Amino acid sequence: MINEKYTLKTEETSINVVMSDVESIRKKNITKTGFRVYADGKIGVAGVIGTYDEAEMKGKARAALSLGIDYPCEPTGNLKRGETVVCDFEDGVKFTEEIEVTLSELRKSHPDFIFNNKINLSTEDHALENDLGLNLRSRISRIDSSLLLKEKSSPNLLDGVVGFMGTKWDRDEYLRFANIICNGFSNQADVENGIHKVILHPMGCDFMNKLYTELHGLKFGTGGSIFAGKIGEKLFSEDFTLYQSVSSEDNMLEFPFFDTEGAVNEKDRYALIENGIFRAPYTDKKTAKQYHLVHTGAAGGEYDSVPTLSPKPLVIRKSEKTIAELLNGETAIYVMFASGGDFTPEGKYATPVQTAFLFDGERFIGRLPQLNLTSNIYDMFGKDYLGTATDSISTLDRTPLTFINMKVEKI
Amino acid sequence: MMYKFPENLYSDIRIEDVFETRIVITNGTLDEMKEKSYTGAFIRVFDGQKWYYSATSDIEGIQKELNDLAQMAVQNEAIDDDPVVRQFEVNKGDFCEFTGENDIRKVPVEEKKALLVKYTDQIRERDCITSLRSHYVDNKKTKRFYSSKGADLIYDFQTTGIRLSYDLKDGEKIFNERYECASDQFKDLSGREGELNAEFEKAVDFLKNAREVRQGKHTVIFSPLAAGVFAHESFGHKSESDFMVGDETMKKEWVIGKKVGAELLSIIDDGNPTGSGHITFDDEGTKAEKTYLIRDGILAGRLHSASSAAALEEHVTGNARAKDFEFEPIVRMTTTYIEKGNETLEELVSGVDDGILVETIKHGSGMTTFTIAPSLAYAIKDGKISHPVKCSVVSGNVFETLNEIDGVSDSVGLHSFILGGCGKMEQYPLPVGFGGPYVRVNNLNVQ
Repeated sequence: MINEKYTLKTEETSINVVMSDVESIRKKNITKTGFRVYADGKIGVAGVIGTYDEAEMKGKARAALSLGIDYPCEPTGNLKRGETVVCDFEDGVKFTEEIEVTLSELRKSHPDFIFNNKINLSTEDHALENDLGLNLRSRISRIDSSLLLKEKSSPNLLDGVVGFMGTKWDRDEYLRFANIICNGFSNQADVENGIHKVILHPMGCDFMNKLYTELHGLKFGTGGSIFAGKIGEKLFSEDFTLYQSVSSEDNMLEFPFFDTEGAVNEKDRYALIENGIFRAPYTDKKTAKQYHLVHTGAAGGEYDSVPTLSPKPLVIRKSEKTIAELLNGETAIYVMFASGGDFTPEGKYATPVQTAFLFDGERFIGRLPQLNLTSNIYDMFGKDYLGTATDSISTLDRTPLTFINMKVEKI
Repeated sequence: MMYKFPENLYSDIRIEDVFETRIVITNGTLDEMKEKSYTGAFIRVFDGQKWYYSATSDIEGIQKELNDLAQMAVQNEAIDDDPVVRQFEVNKGDFCEFTGENDIRKVPVEEKKALLVKYTDQIRERDCITSLRSHYVDNKKTKRFYSSKGADLIYDFQTTGIRLSYDLKDGEKIFNERYECASDQFKDLSGREGELNAEFEKAVDFLKNAREVRQGKHTVIFSPLAAGVFAHESFGHKSESDFMVGDETMKKEWVIGKKVGAELLSIIDDGNPTGSGHITFDDEGTKAEKTYLIRDGILAGRLHSASSAAALEEHVTGNARAKDFEFEPIVRMTTTYIEKGNETLEELVSGVDDGILVETIKHGSGMTTFTIAPSLAYAIKDGKISHPVKCSVVSGNVFETLNEIDGVSDSVGLHSFILGGCGKMEQYPLPVGFGGPYVRVNNLNVQ
């Protein structure tokens, strides 16, 4: 019988902004603990929020073995690693003071805009340990800005976002980032219907959803994926490599470096598609074993769940080109919000674009009218894939921008 | 009263006792089966300028958290006269509805599992199925709410349901669809074999026979489920009045009495109907209300928390809701639906020469442009429902679309859900209900 414990501790200071000013401050300090017991190919799990009696919880996990839930895999053992990602703020008080000053500057700089929503400082501690010598600890502190902006004269609920997730704070850079976005609203730009170079940000557009769906190990293993039977085939552009990643180098600050089964990948990434060649769907131990697939370390689930296959972030490898190089002297359509689009089962893609700008590499030349984008998964990451930039619009936002030629029509 | 509220401040405490069951069967194998219970609390302090919140699982430490928050706030002797504080209702009593035999906790977990196994086995070996994932989920929350104004409440709600998600394949054709039923009573989940069978057969027919849709403008008839999502996404979110606070443009744009839609359109939000959007009180202790958002095409009301009601000089509506004990209440919908009209579905269809019927959906979204991603959809030709069609998204401008509604059927269906829900900023998923009659809308963009 093997005992295992998963601990997730969350501390947070969350600042809510209403009408460009601090409306509320929320503190959170919550610990969730899951206990697992493995015996004879079965798993028992029990969980608790807050304080607990360890012996009692282990007893509950043991009792859960009687439910008969199969776990036909070896728990991870003999692995120790600890990693701490620090952030520029150590406590919520200084963070709150800094955000109040920043908001004051924004109010002065942009009187024609309203800023709303959250800026958070959080620290998450994940720990997974067991009787087999597994001891993995991750502590990640980060800042999340999802400050929504709206032109005061606009009839929309929101027009844009000053958004980033990172560990660094630089007030001047944040204000410069906000300036770039706000200044984009001062002009109206236009495009002709047709094929255009489009810049997509993974946080503002669901253009990668189909990859998450079709690379799911269970869907693949049971033959329901459009990629079924195509391992080793070249499906996409030579320049397109897709990682399953929990690497802090890829700015994956919402996940520890290990999955809920304790799997750790080299450099905390696994290439599912490499130079256009489909290498593997993402899998946990059980799915990999059941369908004879490579194990990629994609177990997830709640703190008190049986570990189960769950997608980790998919990240496109950066090309060796900057934004300027990918633009090559041209302008492009920068998509800030494209909400509600989807793919057909075969992979055709369509999405409305609620907020987009004409972009020259340094500034938003003007706001574009509402648009429709259409393409399909094979073209988007195949012949029409142009690259993923090494840099970004702001040094605070480390999420890479992807350039794709797409059919664009005004709504 | 067990808590000592700090003087010269408004404060309240919401304590949530939660019970959940989750059973998952994947391709016939039991993957998960757990029952869990926990308690958490959310504490709020308001000084007239700012709110101070704490989310904690340390129930014994609530008084300390309250005192600590009070230290962050500024004492305000006039707090009782603050417009926000004046909005708070002071309700007292025990309003628990799900007790005794109705309490989902009384149903043995083995009985819940047996139900899920029965439905799973019903379709597991059918042709075309490549993968089947079955969920049983229930959730019961009992909330206690205390405020410095004197509120002293206990109330509860529960949901229970099953979802079967199936991947289908026929040659190179693939399709995935799901069957879901939910209620607040476990007994309502029984006897659904015929319904499941019919839904599954529809999905197989779609897999085998769906054709590409003609892209462009179409007249679209939404099913009650799709109409409910349409109401929720196209207009419900714009009725959440926290977006309007301090925004003079929005106040002018959304003035009560303005014509915003066709005359036959009425949209309602109401926490009272049973189902996943049901609440007795919201998370500020306000009694749930029926609110007409649009009545006969005219903007009739909007959804409020105490803060938004005070800012807009209106009244609370019982729509301040939090995802769970880790979050503050914000303005959210409950059960949102379109009111019935007086045509039959057949009459609505007969008026369409070339259009689309959207029966089930994958998701929806709503900003200035709303979207609905159809799952099962059918072409309408010469006044009759024809072959299934594959669409990725149906979209339209909200302001134009509400005026493009020209037919509403004569009965309303309300739908509940056990997985997923409504998302607003960081708070996802929140259980809500949707519904409506069949609704016909012209000039929607179909892709």
